[in-house]
Amino acid sequence: MKRLATTLTLVALAAVLAACSGTSAAPTAAPSADPDALRISSKDLTFSTDKLVAPAGEAFQIVYDNQESAPHNVAIYADQGYSQKVLVEEPFSGPKVVTYSVPALDAGTYYFRCDLHTNMKGTIEVE
Amino acid sequence: MANRSASRSFSAVDAVIRAGIVALILGTAYIHSTLGGLLFTLNAAGYVVAAIAMIAPIALASRFRWVIRVGLVGYAAATIVGWAVQGPYFSTAYIAKAIEVALIAVVAVDFIRFDGNPIALVRRELSSGMAFVRARRAAAAA
Repeated sequence: MKRLATTLTLVALAAVLAACSGTSAAPTAAPSADPDALRISSKDLTFSTDKLVAPAGEAFQIVYDNQESAPHNVAIYADQGYSQKVLVEEPFSGPKVVTYSVPALDAGTYYFRCDLHTNMKGTIEVE
Repeated sequence: MANRSASRSFSAVDAVIRAGIVALILGTAYIHSTLGGLLFTLNAAGYVVAAIAMIAPIALASRFRWVIRVGLVGYAAATIVGWAVQGPYFSTAYIAKAIEVALIAVVAVDFIRFDGNPIALVRRELSSGMAFVRARRAAAAA
Protein backbone atom coordinates (compact mmCIF):
# COMPACT_ATOMS: atom_id res chain seq x y z
CA MET A 1 0.00 0.00 0.00
CA LYS A 2 2.94 2.31 0.68
CA ARG A 3 4.15 1.63 -2.86
CA LEU A 4 0.74 2.66 -4.20
CA ALA A 5 0.83 5.85 -2.14
CA THR A 6 4.34 6.63 -3.36
CA THR A 7 3.37 5.99 -6.99
CA LEU A 8 0.25 8.15 -6.75
CA THR A 9 2.22 10.91 -5.07
CA LEU A 10 4.84 10.87 -7.84
CA VAL A 11 2.13 10.87 -10.54
CA ALA A 12 0.38 13.78 -8.83
CA LEU A 13 3.68 15.65 -8.53
CA ALA A 14 4.38 15.14 -12.23
CA ALA A 15 0.89 16.39 -13.09
CA VAL A 16 1.36 19.50 -10.98
CA LEU A 17 4.73 20.28 -12.50
CA ALA A 18 3.34 19.79 -16.00
CA ALA A 19 0.35 22.01 -15.27
CA CYS A 20 2.51 24.71 -13.76
CA SER A 21 5.19 24.79 -16.43
CA GLY A 22 3.35 27.33 -18.58
CA THR A 23 3.80 31.06 -18.26
CA SER A 24 1.28 33.35 -16.61
CA ALA A 25 -1.41 35.13 -18.60
CA ALA A 26 -0.24 37.93 -20.85
CA PRO A 27 -1.12 41.47 -19.80
CA THR A 28 -3.57 43.45 -21.89
CA ALA A 29 -1.25 46.37 -22.47
CA ALA A 30 -0.76 47.74 -25.99
CA PRO A 31 2.03 45.96 -27.90
CA SER A 32 3.60 49.00 -29.64
CA ALA A 33 5.07 52.22 -28.27
CA ASP A 34 5.60 55.74 -29.57
CA PRO A 35 9.08 57.37 -29.45
CA ASP A 36 8.07 59.69 -26.58
CA ALA A 37 6.98 56.87 -24.32
CA LEU A 38 8.32 56.81 -20.77
CA ARG A 39 10.62 53.90 -20.09
CA ILE A 40 11.17 51.82 -16.98
CA SER A 41 12.64 48.40 -16.32
CA SER A 42 13.07 46.08 -13.38
CA LYS A 43 15.61 43.54 -12.27
CA ASP A 44 16.38 41.90 -8.92
CA LEU A 45 13.04 43.12 -7.57
CA THR A 46 14.00 46.76 -8.16
CA PHE A 47 12.66 49.32 -10.63
CA SER A 48 15.26 51.17 -12.71
CA THR A 49 13.86 54.49 -11.49
CA ASP A 50 11.57 55.72 -8.75
CA LYS A 51 10.50 58.85 -10.63
CA LEU A 52 8.83 59.34 -13.99
CA VAL A 53 7.73 62.64 -15.55
CA ALA A 54 4.72 62.81 -17.88
CA PRO A 55 2.88 65.60 -19.70
CA ALA A 56 -0.40 66.86 -18.21
CA GLY A 57 -3.63 66.64 -20.16
CA GLU A 58 -2.52 64.21 -22.80
CA ALA A 59 -2.40 60.44 -22.99
CA PHE A 60 1.04 58.88 -22.86
CA GLN A 61 2.67 55.47 -22.88
CA ILE A 62 4.98 53.66 -20.49
CA VAL A 63 7.27 50.98 -21.88
CA TYR A 64 7.99 48.52 -19.11
CA ASP A 65 10.81 46.01 -19.51
CA ASN A 66 10.57 43.24 -16.93
CA GLN A 67 13.99 41.63 -17.09
CA GLU A 68 13.44 38.79 -14.63
CA SER A 69 11.21 35.76 -14.29
CA ALA A 70 9.38 37.09 -11.25
CA PRO A 71 6.06 38.63 -12.33
CA HIS A 72 5.70 42.40 -11.99
CA ASN A 73 3.49 45.22 -13.18
CA VAL A 74 3.60 48.99 -13.11
CA ALA A 75 0.30 49.90 -11.49
CA ILE A 76 -0.52 53.60 -11.33
CA TYR A 77 -2.62 55.16 -8.57
CA ALA A 78 -3.79 58.67 -7.86
CA ASP A 79 -3.12 58.46 -4.11
CA GLN A 80 -0.29 57.38 -1.89
CA GLY A 81 -2.53 54.79 -0.25
CA TYR A 82 -2.81 53.02 -3.62
CA SER A 83 -6.60 52.89 -3.46
CA GLN A 84 -7.55 55.12 -6.44
CA LYS A 85 -6.61 53.15 -9.53
CA VAL A 86 -5.48 55.02 -12.65
CA LEU A 87 -4.08 52.07 -14.58
CA VAL A 88 -3.68 48.58 -13.20
CA GLU A 89 -2.72 45.71 -15.47
CA GLU A 90 -1.92 42.12 -14.52
CA PRO A 91 1.62 41.32 -13.40
CA PHE A 92 3.58 39.36 -16.00
CA SER A 93 6.71 37.24 -15.98
CA GLY A 94 9.81 38.34 -17.82
CA PRO A 95 11.91 38.72 -19.68
CA LYS A 96 9.25 40.65 -21.56
CA VAL A 97 8.52 44.22 -22.64
CA VAL A 98 5.01 45.62 -22.37
CA THR A 99 3.64 49.02 -23.33
CA TYR A 100 1.02 50.57 -21.11
CA SER A 101 -1.32 53.22 -22.51
CA VAL A 102 -2.06 55.75 -19.78
CA PRO A 103 -5.06 58.07 -20.18
CA ALA A 104 -4.64 61.85 -19.98
CA LEU A 105 -4.03 62.96 -16.39
CA ASP A 106 -4.38 66.26 -14.58
CA ALA A 107 -1.18 67.85 -13.31
CA GLY A 108 -0.02 66.46 -10.00
CA THR A 109 1.79 63.60 -8.37
CA TYR A 110 0.74 60.03 -9.05
CA TYR A 111 2.12 56.86 -7.55
CA PHE A 112 3.23 53.65 -9.19
CA ARG A 113 4.22 50.32 -7.76
CA CYS A 114 4.42 46.63 -8.48
CA ASP A 115 1.24 45.26 -6.95
CA LEU A 116 2.97 41.99 -6.16
CA HIS A 117 6.13 43.42 -4.57
CA THR A 118 4.89 46.61 -2.97
CA ASN A 119 8.37 47.79 -1.97
CA MET A 120 8.94 48.38 -5.69
CA LYS A 121 7.42 51.84 -6.07
CA GLY A 122 7.89 55.38 -7.24
CA THR A 123 6.10 58.54 -8.35
CA ILE A 124 4.93 59.98 -11.65
CA GLU A 125 5.08 63.75 -11.81
CA VAL A 126 2.48 64.95 -14.29
CA GLU A 127 3.24 68.56 -15.27
CA MET B 1 -1.72 6.89 24.33
CA ALA B 2 -4.09 5.22 21.91
CA ASN B 3 -4.33 7.12 18.65
CA ARG B 4 -6.82 6.41 15.90
CA SER B 5 -4.67 8.09 13.26
CA ALA B 6 -1.61 5.98 13.99
CA SER B 7 -3.43 2.66 14.35
CA ARG B 8 -5.79 2.91 11.34
CA SER B 9 -4.89 0.88 8.25
CA PHE B 10 -4.08 2.75 5.02
CA SER B 11 -6.46 2.03 2.12
CA ALA B 12 -6.23 2.79 -1.60
CA VAL B 13 -8.68 5.67 -1.16
CA ASP B 14 -6.47 7.07 1.59
CA ALA B 15 -3.51 6.87 -0.78
CA VAL B 16 -5.41 8.78 -3.47
CA ILE B 17 -6.48 11.47 -0.98
CA ARG B 18 -2.94 11.80 0.39
CA ALA B 19 -1.53 12.05 -3.14
CA GLY B 20 -4.12 14.72 -3.90
CA ILE B 21 -3.11 16.68 -0.84
CA VAL B 22 0.56 16.52 -1.80
CA ALA B 23 -0.25 17.55 -5.38
CA LEU B 24 -2.30 20.53 -4.23
CA ILE B 25 0.39 21.58 -1.74
CA LEU B 26 3.11 21.38 -4.36
CA GLY B 27 0.92 23.21 -6.85
CA THR B 28 0.44 26.24 -4.66
CA ALA B 29 4.05 26.01 -3.45
CA TYR B 30 5.25 26.14 -7.04
CA ILE B 31 3.12 29.18 -7.83
CA HIS B 32 4.40 31.03 -4.77
CA SER B 33 8.00 30.06 -5.55
CA THR B 34 7.76 31.74 -8.96
CA LEU B 35 6.58 35.08 -7.57
CA GLY B 36 9.96 36.19 -6.20
CA GLY B 37 10.62 38.00 -2.94
CA LEU B 38 11.23 36.66 0.56
CA LEU B 39 7.59 36.43 1.67
CA PHE B 40 6.48 34.30 -1.27
CA THR B 41 9.60 32.14 -1.10
CA LEU B 42 9.07 31.46 2.61
CA ASN B 43 5.43 30.67 1.94
CA ALA B 44 6.46 28.15 -0.72
CA ALA B 45 9.05 26.63 1.62
CA GLY B 46 6.40 26.26 4.33
CA TYR B 47 4.16 24.39 1.94
CA VAL B 48 6.99 22.05 0.91
CA VAL B 49 7.71 21.27 4.57
CA ALA B 50 3.99 20.54 5.06
CA ALA B 51 4.00 18.21 2.04
CA ILE B 52 6.93 16.29 3.49
CA ALA B 53 5.27 16.13 6.90
CA MET B 54 2.07 14.78 5.34
CA ILE B 55 3.81 11.75 3.86
CA ALA B 56 6.86 11.23 6.09
CA PRO B 57 6.73 7.57 7.15
CA ILE B 58 8.31 8.21 10.54
CA ALA B 59 6.48 7.28 13.73
CA LEU B 60 6.43 10.77 15.21
CA ALA B 61 4.88 12.26 12.06
CA SER B 62 2.29 9.47 11.93
CA ARG B 63 1.45 9.88 15.60
CA PHE B 64 0.89 13.63 15.27
CA ARG B 65 -0.39 13.73 11.69
CA TRP B 66 -3.57 15.36 12.98
CA VAL B 67 -1.51 18.31 14.22
CA ILE B 68 0.06 18.57 10.79
CA ARG B 69 -3.41 18.52 9.18
CA VAL B 70 -4.67 21.27 11.48
CA GLY B 71 -1.50 23.28 10.90
CA LEU B 72 -1.79 22.86 7.15
CA VAL B 73 -5.41 24.03 7.13
CA GLY B 74 -4.45 27.02 9.28
CA TYR B 75 -1.47 27.81 7.04
CA ALA B 76 -3.55 27.69 3.86
CA ALA B 77 -6.34 29.72 5.48
CA ALA B 78 -3.84 32.34 6.68
CA THR B 79 -2.39 32.53 3.17
CA ILE B 80 -5.85 33.08 1.71
CA VAL B 81 -6.75 35.73 4.29
CA GLY B 82 -3.41 37.49 3.75
CA TRP B 83 -4.05 37.62 0.02
CA ALA B 84 -7.66 38.75 0.50
CA VAL B 85 -6.46 41.66 2.63
CA GLN B 86 -3.46 42.72 0.57
CA GLY B 87 -4.01 41.32 -2.94
CA PRO B 88 -3.03 41.59 -5.69
CA TYR B 89 -6.03 40.19 -7.49
CA PHE B 90 -4.82 38.68 -10.74
CA SER B 91 -5.32 35.40 -12.58
CA THR B 92 -2.39 33.46 -11.11
CA ALA B 93 -3.45 34.50 -7.59
CA TYR B 94 -6.99 33.24 -8.22
CA ILE B 95 -5.58 29.89 -9.35
CA ALA B 96 -3.41 29.66 -6.22
CA LYS B 97 -6.36 30.51 -3.98
CA ALA B 98 -8.59 27.95 -5.71
CA ILE B 99 -5.89 25.34 -5.09
CA GLU B 100 -5.69 26.36 -1.43
CA VAL B 101 -9.46 26.18 -0.95
CA ALA B 102 -9.44 22.70 -2.52
CA LEU B 103 -6.50 21.79 -0.30
CA ILE B 104 -8.40 22.78 2.84
CA ALA B 105 -11.40 20.70 1.72
CA VAL B 106 -9.32 17.60 0.94
CA VAL B 107 -7.32 17.88 4.18
CA ALA B 108 -10.63 18.15 6.05
CA VAL B 109 -11.78 14.91 4.41
CA ASP B 110 -8.45 13.28 5.30
CA PHE B 111 -8.81 14.51 8.88
CA ILE B 112 -12.31 13.08 9.26
CA ARG B 113 -11.30 9.75 7.73
CA PHE B 114 -8.29 9.33 10.01
CA ASP B 115 -9.11 11.27 13.15
CA GLY B 116 -12.91 11.49 13.18
CA ASN B 117 -14.65 14.20 15.14
CA PRO B 118 -12.15 16.98 15.91
CA ILE B 119 -13.78 17.73 19.28
CA ALA B 120 -13.55 14.09 20.31
CA LEU B 121 -9.93 14.08 19.15
CA VAL B 122 -9.07 17.10 21.30
CA ARG B 123 -10.74 15.47 24.31
CA ARG B 124 -8.84 12.25 23.64
CA GLU B 125 -5.52 14.07 23.36
CA LEU B 126 -6.21 16.12 26.49
CA SER B 127 -7.02 13.04 28.51
CA SER B 128 -3.88 11.37 27.19
CA GLY B 129 -1.86 14.40 28.17
CA MET B 130 -3.38 14.50 31.64
CA ALA B 131 -2.70 10.80 32.13
CA PHE B 132 0.92 11.40 31.09
CA VAL B 133 1.28 14.27 33.61
CA ARG B 134 -0.27 12.17 36.39
CA ALA B 135 2.09 9.30 35.64
CA ARG B 136 5.10 11.66 35.74
CA ARG B 137 3.98 13.11 39.09
CA ALA B 138 3.44 9.66 40.53
CA ALA B 139 6.88 8.60 39.36
CA ALA B 140 8.45 11.72 40.88
CA ALA B 141 6.67 11.19 44.19
CA ALA B 142 7.71 7.54 44.44
